[in-house]
Amino acid sequence: MSGSLQDKQTSSQTCSCCPTGQGLKWLLRGAALRVPHTLRAACLLLVALAGAAVYNAANPMGIPWGPSPGGRVGIPRAFESRLPQIDAAQALVLQEAGDALFVDSRDEEDYERDHIGGAVNAPMRKWVEIWPDIESELPKNRLLVLYCYGAHCGLSTRQGKELLRQGYDNVIVLDYGWATWTEHGGPTVQHPDGHPGGEEGED
Amino acid sequence: MGVIWRVVTHRIFLRVTGLVVGGIFVYASWDKITQADRFADVVHDYDMLALVFINAFALIMPWAELTVGAALIIGVWRRAAGLMATAMTVAFMIAIAQAEIRGLKIECGCFDVSGMSGTEASWGLFLRDIALLLGSMLLWRRA
Repeated sequence: MSGSLQDKQTSSQTCSCCPTGQGLKWLLRGAALRVPHTLRAACLLLVALAGAAVYNAANPMGIPWGPSPGGRVGIPRAFESRLPQIDAAQALVLQEAGDALFVDSRDEEDYERDHIGGAVNAPMRKWVEIWPDIESELPKNRLLVLYCYGAHCGLSTRQGKELLRQGYDNVIVLDYGWATWTEHGGPTVQHPDGHPGGEEGED
Repeated sequence: MGVIWRVVTHRIFLRVTGLVVGGIFVYASWDKITQADRFADVVHDYDMLALVFINAFALIMPWAELTVGAALIIGVWRRAAGLMATAMTVAFMIAIAQAEIRGLKIECGCFDVSGMSGTEASWGLFLRDIALLLGSMLLWRRA
């Protein structure tokens, strides 16, 4: 076997001008597999791309490859239509009618300083810790309007996703959150009852 | 110095390094693959990418980690996988450093994206990544 290999190599070496001999030499030396590692890295990346595409297509909680409507990111396709956004005017109507429970996704200190009247604080940055306690305050049969700081704040959207995962159905996100609410003159409450009063009256 | 260099470039040391680095990459990929939406949130928090790229990055990057990790563990195309591991680790370090410099208090998202670990991006993680970078570079240049 090795003898025939040697013969082939010898024949190809002795016939360097012959294209067939050169091709055989190329194959025998394994040059076909001697791909530069940068190219191999690109191949690995292609494998990763293929894996991501297949898995994401098959995954019920897969996400779109680009932003969802409204410029939101990280929204599973299954949640896109279940997590609508409203503007401040619509939120004001809901608040006046008393139809919805507002949920403040911001940090506790920001909620304590100022928040939408009747809102419950559920700081998203501490979601894992607060969820067991906050669950009873968020009835599933009520419309929940989630808000956070404003543009580029994804906390309320994330909270919406978590609530949908927990079986909530009536969840809405206030687009541009607290910023748009105050711009539209929405009523706010400073230092709710029960809060330690040392900072009362502060903005 | 020469002895150390001979040890770290020894075939067995490189194999073990490949297993360790590969294992880290595979482990790191899993949570991100199964919870791509949460990983997209983490990527968004780092505030480095335009919105239009975030979801695509969140989908591809964990699979790149898995592919690289698997290649290093199996022992195929280790230099290529080492090159990719090096590039990814440098990207992680840049992401962590800019988050620290800008004072962003965000979840690392290194191994867990569900918010359960509570690990913040920090200089400590940056130092940990230096070790990962050295291992990856060794595999890239010497495997």
